[in-house]
Amino acid sequence: MRYVGIGLVYGYRYSFGLLFPASCKYHPSCSQYAIDAFRKYGLVRGSLKAGWRLLRCNPWRHGGVDYP
Amino acid sequence: MIHAILLSPLTPLEHLLRHVLDWLHNTLGLPWAWSIVGLTVIVRVLLVPLTVRQIHSMQNLQSHAPQMKEIQRKYKGDRQKQNEELMRFYRENSINPAASCLPLVAQFPVFIGLYYTLRTFSRHPPKGDLSWLHVVPNIAAHANSHWSGYLLLAIYAISQMASTFLMGTTMDKTQRTLLLIMPLVFLAVVAHFPAGLVLYWMTTNLWTVGQGLITRRLVPKKGDVPAPKRSSRTPPREAAEDGAAKKPAAPEPAARTNAPPKRVKRKKKKGGARR
Repeated sequence: MRYVGIGLVYGYRYSFGLLFPASCKYHPSCSQYAIDAFRKYGLVRGSLKAGWRLLRCNPWRHGGVDYP
Repeated sequence: MIHAILLSPLTPLEHLLRHVLDWLHNTLGLPWAWSIVGLTVIVRVLLVPLTVRQIHSMQNLQSHAPQMKEIQRKYKGDRQKQNEELMRFYRENSINPAASCLPLVAQFPVFIGLYYTLRTFSRHPPKGDLSWLHVVPNIAAHANSHWSGYLLLAIYAISQMASTFLMGTTMDKTQRTLLLIMPLVFLAVVAHFPAGLVLYWMTTNLWTVGQGLITRRLVPKKGDVPAPKRSSRTPPREAAEDGAAKKPAAPEPAARTNAPPKRVKRKKKKGGARR
């Protein structure tokens, strides 16, 4: 199941992701974080964690090093 | 299938956009074509605060460029370490990196919603005047059904390339080249879209270009950072150059930029500013 999530992230990376410059204030980037989170927690919890990370990656936060 | 997945959460947004479109036509009395332009402009105006925020952090980032270059040089072989060190540097200096994912991702549903709204509009065109500027006879017809459509397509492709060109100062060469070729590939697909959609795409691209031009004026370019001279808040030239001389460790093109150019809204180049 988790590979569905990972596949979707790769799908994003090679479609919309190509349209924008690499832009994330965290390390690893949000998409990499999502892939790692899916691997570690599975589809449901992984996507929750990735979603929360995406919400944190906003102009009012400072970013930094943050592994799932 | 994809449409169903995309559309179900976007339906309220699509309805909202349709309402705005109808309002522009019925209440403000704009022709349909101009309503599309108006709707696009409204969406982009709503996104402006995000851009402003990004310009501010870009200016802030630019003032720390020499130290960041130093870090990048130090950990050249190890991308992960390099990233981690950069993040630490941001944190220590309380820099807020310009880029963030959320604004980018938040734009997707809006643009996809707009796309579907205009597609529905063009499939079931309302009665009334559907021409634009006496050039485009029918914005609901396919773009490649009339010569004016090709004109729109050309403007679309050029504006898309221009916006890449302006945005692309931070990306690497391969990505940039790819992005410059992309609109030409898209053209084949976009040619079958209704002219109204191309009109929207063109408008939003032109807006991006305008924004890019303004951003460019506000943020100094990469190789062109001797900003101390442009800002009234920085110390006089001698002091700035003294500061630069004291830091021999920094790589030489960046060494000139030690004084923090907080806001760089001045004229571009003054005589003798660069050596």
